[in-house]
Amino acid sequence: MKISPKFILKVAGTLTVISLVVAAMLGLVNSITADKIAEIDAENTRISMSAVAPEGSEFGDKMELTETAVAAAAAQGGKLMEMYPVTNGGAEAGYVLKISASGSQGSIVMMVGVDANKAITGISVVSHAETSGIGTKVVGNDLNAAGEPVLDQFIGLSGAGSLVVGSNITPITGATVSTKGITTGANAALAAVDALG
Amino acid sequence: MNFGKQLKEGLISQNPVLVQLLGMCSTMAITTSFFNGLGMGVSVLIILTLSNIFISLLRKIIPNEVRIACYIVVIAGFVTCVDLLLKAFVPALSASLGVFIPLIVVNCIILGRAEGYASKNGVGASTVDGICQGIGYTVVLIAMCVVREFLGNGKFGGGLLGGGALGSAPGISIIPEEFGIKVLTLPVGGFLTLGALIAVMQWALAKAEKKKEAK
Repeated sequence: MKISPKFILKVAGTLTVISLVVAAMLGLVNSITADKIAEIDAENTRISMSAVAPEGSEFGDKMELTETAVAAAAAQGGKLMEMYPVTNGGAEAGYVLKISASGSQGSIVMMVGVDANKAITGISVVSHAETSGIGTKVVGNDLNAAGEPVLDQFIGLSGAGSLVVGSNITPITGATVSTKGITTGANAALAAVDALG
Repeated sequence: MNFGKQLKEGLISQNPVLVQLLGMCSTMAITTSFFNGLGMGVSVLIILTLSNIFISLLRKIIPNEVRIACYIVVIAGFVTCVDLLLKAFVPALSASLGVFIPLIVVNCIILGRAEGYASKNGVGASTVDGICQGIGYTVVLIAMCVVREFLGNGKFGGGLLGGGALGSAPGISIIPEEFGIKVLTLPVGGFLTLGALIAVMQWALAKAEKKKEAK
């Protein structure tokens, strides 16, 4: 069969026109929703930041990530995604970092608060794909094998790379890999803050 | 155009999930709370109706050789619109349905109705078809949610009733939670519930058929 140029033009033209119309429609909807979605995202980020920093903390604008900080986090096995400075009553009070580290089923994205003395002030999970009923216990801050909330045991700890599941971190029985993921994230956060000097 | 007949087809004799066996992935995945089922059902209903209208309008313009590509572009456009609108105005629903909203693009019900109905029928009939098939899908989702929630957790109307914010409301407790069959709230429970529903539907359809023959 010989394909005529007219046929090609017709097919390509129809597809192009339809794509253009759909794109215009999407642009319109996006212009209505973009601000609203950004607002909700910012609000969610603020809520998850407040969860990991002491009361009365105020958060600055998103910081530029330095190469050394990203590399330091990567050396600990985590990916530094975002970073915000924290002030408390006008004084510098450390940082909140958004870190991604691998859990048992995929990446665990978490917020880690680190104070001015480079000790952890809190960890909360933003998104994850852990096994429902097992790994989600870690995400939900359930009690670990020692009877302590698993995420809260990180509070006050410091020293990048010094946190190790089995020695100073107690996992939830059956969810060791998920606990290790959180520990990786915590070490990466401490390393990134160290790298800032 | 016959609304009653098409509604009966969508709900019973040509039910998209229980008879045509389309769109089963989302059916099993999201039917864990009443709120999710209703939200997903209505989202699909809206997208299905809009894409049916659009494709029916364009059915004489779209060249046969690239029709599937055209359908997908139209469907993806509407899905993205609904996704953005949900994110902006019903964030709780958007968070709990997660990836299943974008995945409506590849939901077989929508492409199936575009190819099987809207591309061959007029705008009015296609609109009615979209609404009726959407209602059929929604009803099945809600039935699955009610069964799984009640037998699994002893609750009714999770995410919607029982006080608390939209999406995180605990639902009304009917029997104490510890007596629930926990497995029904897990993905495997979705398979079991859907299997049972399809079996009931086939039984009812076969019975109706026999009755007709006997007459």
